[in-house]
Amino acid sequence: MKRRSFITKAATATAGAMVLPYILPSGRLFAATGTRIVDHVVFCLFAGGVRNLESMQKVDGNLMPNMLLGSESISSDIASAIPSLGTIGSQRLQEQGTLFREFRFAQGPTGHFSGHSTALTGVYNLVDINIRTRPQSPTIFEYYRKHTDPSTSALNAWWISNSLGPYPALNFSSHPDYGALYGANFIQPASIINQTSYNVLGNPKAFAASEREKVAQMRAFFDENFAGQVNLADAGVFNPESDAAQIDSFIQTAFAEANSGVYNNPWGTGFMTGDMMNMFAAEKIMQRFTPELMVVNMQDVDVCHGNFTQYAAALHVADYALAHLWQTIQSTPGMANNTILIAAPEHGRNLQPNTVVDQYGRYAIDHTSDATSREIFCLVVGPTGKVVQNQNITQQMGESIDIVPTIAKILGFHDQVGGMLPGQPLNQAFV
Amino acid sequence: MNMKSSLFLPIFGVVCSVMLYSCETEKDIIYGVNDVEVVRPTGSKGYQKSLTEFISIAYADIFDANITQDVLLDLSTPYAAFGDLKYIEDLIIRNFLNDQSAQLPSNTVMRANVDLFITETYNRFYNRNPNEFELWYMKDLIDSNADITPELVYYSMMTSNEYRYY
Repeated sequence: MKRRSFITKAATATAGAMVLPYILPSGRLFAATGTRIVDHVVFCLFAGGVRNLESMQKVDGNLMPNMLLGSESISSDIASAIPSLGTIGSQRLQEQGTLFREFRFAQGPTGHFSGHSTALTGVYNLVDINIRTRPQSPTIFEYYRKHTDPSTSALNAWWISNSLGPYPALNFSSHPDYGALYGANFIQPASIINQTSYNVLGNPKAFAASEREKVAQMRAFFDENFAGQVNLADAGVFNPESDAAQIDSFIQTAFAEANSGVYNNPWGTGFMTGDMMNMFAAEKIMQRFTPELMVVNMQDVDVCHGNFTQYAAALHVADYALAHLWQTIQSTPGMANNTILIAAPEHGRNLQPNTVVDQYGRYAIDHTSDATSREIFCLVVGPTGKVVQNQNITQQMGESIDIVPTIAKILGFHDQVGGMLPGQPLNQAFV
Repeated sequence: MNMKSSLFLPIFGVVCSVMLYSCETEKDIIYGVNDVEVVRPTGSKGYQKSLTEFISIAYADIFDANITQDVLLDLSTPYAAFGDLKYIEDLIIRNFLNDQSAQLPSNTVMRANVDLFITETYNRFYNRNPNEFELWYMKDLIDSNADITPELVYYSMMTSNEYRYY
């Protein structure tokens, strides 16, 4: 009997010892158990509304020669308006991964914020969207930070937007179980890394370590007296002091670089568009912080509401910028051969044009939820042996809501969140 | 004298005594205390300053002047362009403090009358008087740390949570 009792107690103690380490500081009982495919994901929202007719179907020639195979010449009537940027590297992006040519933004209004929100939450917006509020469903950033073990700081999660408006609100949701505590660092580089911002923010007082200690002591006293009246989300995402110091160093360096002209023509293309600027800043963030999850967008193609030819030119530039981003990933220690790049528009554009004609005689195009405006593509690029190479999926497969579970699968926490998401990982893309 | 007679007198006396004293009129005595208003030392600040409110108020608090529209616009845009407001507010305040035209009391002035400095500073930044504990704590801190300057006190208060609310 004593022997049986001993064995029972020993088994209980052993089981307890095995379980206890999995009660994490975040309050979760179990750590993420999934296996990662790679350690970094860069999701590029190739946004602004890209029609499959101009991208995948190349009705005006191959406007995206960095992404797509093919040497179809650009339509002669608009060719002179398309900048000649050439290609980067010997392989096209589609050769380095899997291309879902008939992807779908299947439900919800084909609006930019709606499309962005769906791409970042994995949930379609089927009710009215209040662009002044945060999404109700958790974002991929929150899933990642809450369900990754060991827990990661916001320096590992970045949302880099090319515009302000409602987009800053997409770095975390209002979901009561997630929120600011698990949010991403948001930055809109064009509004902060420029001469004007440098003039007003580029000369901060530098305090000595001993002074910072005194400040911390006093601030702690003030904050303690005000405890209970603070809503964490009011201050946005939180970076502890050491992380904030790294961000400060990055911002001050960016100020200095912008001031010295580094941001004017960094790629030697002779010009710098909004999309290029955003992607260049994303590269800088990548090189500095090597984040595990970074989302960056481009939206210049939305000029298509009033000028089709400029849309075609912007599509060409965005293609070049995406290839440049991939090239930078491959030259960034820690991220090279350890990163999967996903690129997809947030939605498409209508089949029928509006009545605005540009100087080349082309009609502009809106996006108002017709069937064509739901047709998009999704490109998954990654290392050999991880991502299926040179795979061209021509049948309709995959939706916008599948991107969040796909990222969760890549970073090894899909088992934790899959039950909360309507979409499925794009398993066809992975070896 | 039998047993009953011997007990009558003592019992009668006790009953009479009880009746005599119990009939005395009871005085109405009311004990009172002075009214004390119980409030949080920080007051009730339920509203977060908006982006432009924070910048405008911080500017006025440091420079004793109203911010111009141009400067407000120049600061508002980068403020909105970063997701960690505490960081960007910290950056704004440090730039204000590093400006030659910042209006800060000297260390000598602060130490000449620490009580007054603390009271004025609380009113400047928090729009309220310090309570007795806050006054004691800050006075003790300043008195016992020669390296605490008005600039450090300003910086601490302006980057504290209470400063973001009104």
